[in-house]
Amino acid sequence: MTIGLEHFLVLGALLFGVGLYVALAKRNAIGVLMGVELMLNAINLTLVAFGRFVESEVELSTSVFVVFIIAVAAAEIAVGLALAMVVYRNRDTINIDRVNLLRW
Amino acid sequence: MDGVAHHLAFWPLAVITVGAALGILVSRNLIHAMVMLILSFIGVAGLYLLLSAEFIAVVQILVYVGAISVLMLFAILLTPRAARDNAETAMRYPGLILMGLVIAATVFVALETDWSVVREEPVTESARVIGRSLINEFVLPFEIAAVLLTAALVGAVALARRDDEDIDAHEESLTLEGQDDSGGSS
Repeated sequence: MTIGLEHFLVLGALLFGVGLYVALAKRNAIGVLMGVELMLNAINLTLVAFGRFVESEVELSTSVFVVFIIAVAAAEIAVGLALAMVVYRNRDTINIDRVNLLRW
Repeated sequence: MDGVAHHLAFWPLAVITVGAALGILVSRNLIHAMVMLILSFIGVAGLYLLLSAEFIAVVQILVYVGAISVLMLFAILLTPRAARDNAETAMRYPGLILMGLVIAATVFVALETDWSVVREEPVTESARVIGRSLINEFVLPFEIAAVLLTAALVGAVALARRDDEDIDAHEESLTLEGQDDSGGSS
């Protein structure tokens, strides 16, 4: 059996599922951000696998997308952690169950 | 990819990546979960190398393992009075069900679709190809990404810095009062 595209796709699916669970179910805001990072990594892995195994019009355009996704993920994590710090300063907690200021 | 070397590289990397991700899921301590996340990032970087994407692998190590992990560790250490545990909310069982459904659906699609796999040999010199694309076809997104990163940097600093205008005003009034007192007494 050869290592093919399907192997990487299944691996990406597993990583994405675990990341989705962590992002949905964790109580700590930083834990939720960890789940988001896992999902983005799974998507990047899938894109790079497609770029390796499938021809495209623009060579390695998937890898260019991956570079952009990494840039956006870095921006997202910087703003997200800054928000977590602000919430912590005001509420002394980053437990997302107890940060319910916007609840109706 | 059908050499013994590819199997020897793929399966340990796959086990490390998914095992570390599961470690985040079950870990009770947020710091341990963070270490597991770093291990998962390194595993994904190894898989990029296996896919002949050297440039992406280096960027992964630099940005994720180098920068983002340190940022998140600092965020954990700077919130000392917050709960250190990595417990779940009430979304635990719906989350587990959703995770199972998403994994089942994507694995089914990945295995059942007839992917038109045409490239047998990987693209060599991926850094050169990516750099050329960035300044040819993708030059506008490239510039927008630069603006986005600047905006995110400024936004993060503006959010995270202490609001010290009040402190300044308070100190100024204190010094003014002090001068008034000294002027009145002399």
